[in-house]
Amino acid sequence: MLNQYFGDYITVAVFMAVGAGLVGGAVIASRMLAPSRPGGFKEIAYESGIEPVGGGWNQSHIRYYIFALLFLIFDVEAVFIFPWAIRLDFFTELGNGFLILWEMVAFIVILVLGLVYAVRKGVLRWE
Amino acid sequence: MIDYHALAPELILAVTVLAVLVTDLVVRSKVWVAVVALVGLFAAFVPILTLAFCEPLVGCTEVTRTMFLGSYVVDSYALVLKGLFIGTAFVAVLLSVDYIESDRYYEGEYFFLLLSAALGAVVMSSARDFVSIVVALELVSGPGFLLAGWRKADERSNEAALKFFISGVLALALLMFGVSLVYGLTGTQQFDQLAAASVQFVDLPLFTIGVLFILVGFGFKVSAVPFHYWTPDTYQGSPTPVTAWLAVGSKTAGFVGLLSIAFIAFPAMRDVWGPILWVVAAVTMVVGNVVAIKQTNIVRLLGYSSIAHAGFILAPFAAMAGASDAAMSQAFYAAVAYLLIYAVMNLGAFGVVIAGLSKVESAELTDWSGLFRHSPGLAVLLAGFFFSLAGIPPLAGWFAKLAMFQATIGSGTPWGYSIAVIAVLNSVVAIYYYAKPVKSAFFDEVPEGVSAAATPSVASPALKLALGLSIAGVVLLGIFPGLVAQLSRYTSEIIAAIF
Repeated sequence: MLNQYFGDYITVAVFMAVGAGLVGGAVIASRMLAPSRPGGFKEIAYESGIEPVGGGWNQSHIRYYIFALLFLIFDVEAVFIFPWAIRLDFFTELGNGFLILWEMVAFIVILVLGLVYAVRKGVLRWE
Repeated sequence: MIDYHALAPELILAVTVLAVLVTDLVVRSKVWVAVVALVGLFAAFVPILTLAFCEPLVGCTEVTRTMFLGSYVVDSYALVLKGLFIGTAFVAVLLSVDYIESDRYYEGEYFFLLLSAALGAVVMSSARDFVSIVVALELVSGPGFLLAGWRKADERSNEAALKFFISGVLALALLMFGVSLVYGLTGTQQFDQLAAASVQFVDLPLFTIGVLFILVGFGFKVSAVPFHYWTPDTYQGSPTPVTAWLAVGSKTAGFVGLLSIAFIAFPAMRDVWGPILWVVAAVTMVVGNVVAIKQTNIVRLLGYSSIAHAGFILAPFAAMAGASDAAMSQAFYAAVAYLLIYAVMNLGAFGVVIAGLSKVESAELTDWSGLFRHSPGLAVLLAGFFFSLAGIPPLAGWFAKLAMFQATIGSGTPWGYSIAVIAVLNSVVAIYYYAKPVKSAFFDEVPEGVSAAATPSVASPALKLALGLSIAGVVLLGIFPGLVAQLSRYTSEIIAAIF
């Protein structure tokens, strides 16, 4: 049983070796084949995109971070609600539909409280 | 169906956590937030009584209630420790009220986080599988990281939070790795099944490594040497009421997890974890006590003292290699008794430090000399809690040590005898560094530049209540240790029932 357990890792080891070989081979091959002429526009970030404005240490406002957090919370809520909604019928047939319903109500109430908290603390005010 | 009576303490605490957050939004005077927190903690204690005295009060027959296919168990052990955690959180809230008020920011969130951590500790007492243990551990640790960095303008507080966070996350990663090995080998992560399954894996090195990683993960949480390095800095930098919670609530939660894992999940592996914990306990006692001698800051002194006590609590574990089943039950009894008494006396000691800091305005021990001359009450309390920590009768600490020696010597193994000898030597060292500040508080002159005599006593009713509860506990439990003995005996019945 244990030999089988460790034997499975040989597959993993082979995959890692092949992967490392591919990446290493590509890097070495391009180093040997490609011409190298650094300088000019090649030095800036995103050399094929829009010309960057300002330096790399530009500050962005904390409110973007808070919006991202709030978005994430309700995004995850949606992820939980969809499978729940699909399986609710099944639990209703089993006879504990109300329990499952209240579980979700409790979950949403807690999240809404979080939103109320954020609003009251003035997080959503944009000025 | 779900047993709501058994889950009532957790549900009430969870509702209190939300109520605290809402209260913070609607009231102007933040004292009400603390009041809501205290009322909620008190309410959460009621179902613990109705569950413990189930038969006379409600008319049910069985105390042990198993839920969620055995992952969550409410039994005598869980109930006693839930009571301890709720009591600890209650005193921690009392200690925090003034301290947080004087800072004037985020008072509501402070109690929200403290109660969340308390909820995690309560869940930990009932968790009987690794997923529940990890979730509970996260719920205890996460708020702790934020609370440690509460004074965000203070460099030391930031350092405290960062060190605590990094070591906490490392501990969790090691713990999870160990759990994954154990789960991969046995195919189960539930403690009752692991207890049966681990018998056939005892000689397997990979399984031993898994158990070792789990122990190391908890070693960080209970700040056992060599995983203790974050403890003094975090204790010193955090706001003092938070330190009180970390040293008592958070550490006890770690020990509860360790007790569940060692005695309920892996009793068959005692020949493996016994010797490892023997080394850890011996080193923890020696390092904690010897380094404490040189400390000049009272909070750091208590930090190293809490490391030393972790060694004493681990001593019964250390004696278990080759021990009989009866000795296992006795060791469990000793560890729980030590945790109960440690909580009371350490909360009191931190209460004295909080009261003293507002009076002396310095944590340096030299500034605390002559304390008796300007605040005699505080000096007497300091002596009471420090002598209890040293284990001098008739204060409660002696009974904790007695139970520990009973368990180690009573195990009848060479491991037990040797750890008892080390513990005796360390107890003698401990008396020295606990007695020194007390002596200087009573007999030395007040140093130049400490104008404490002029400042009036600022201890609030909440702080006085916390100190009163702790000193009453230390004195009464020292004179009548029967209560602690009975509670601990009651918890160790579940270990006796396993074999």
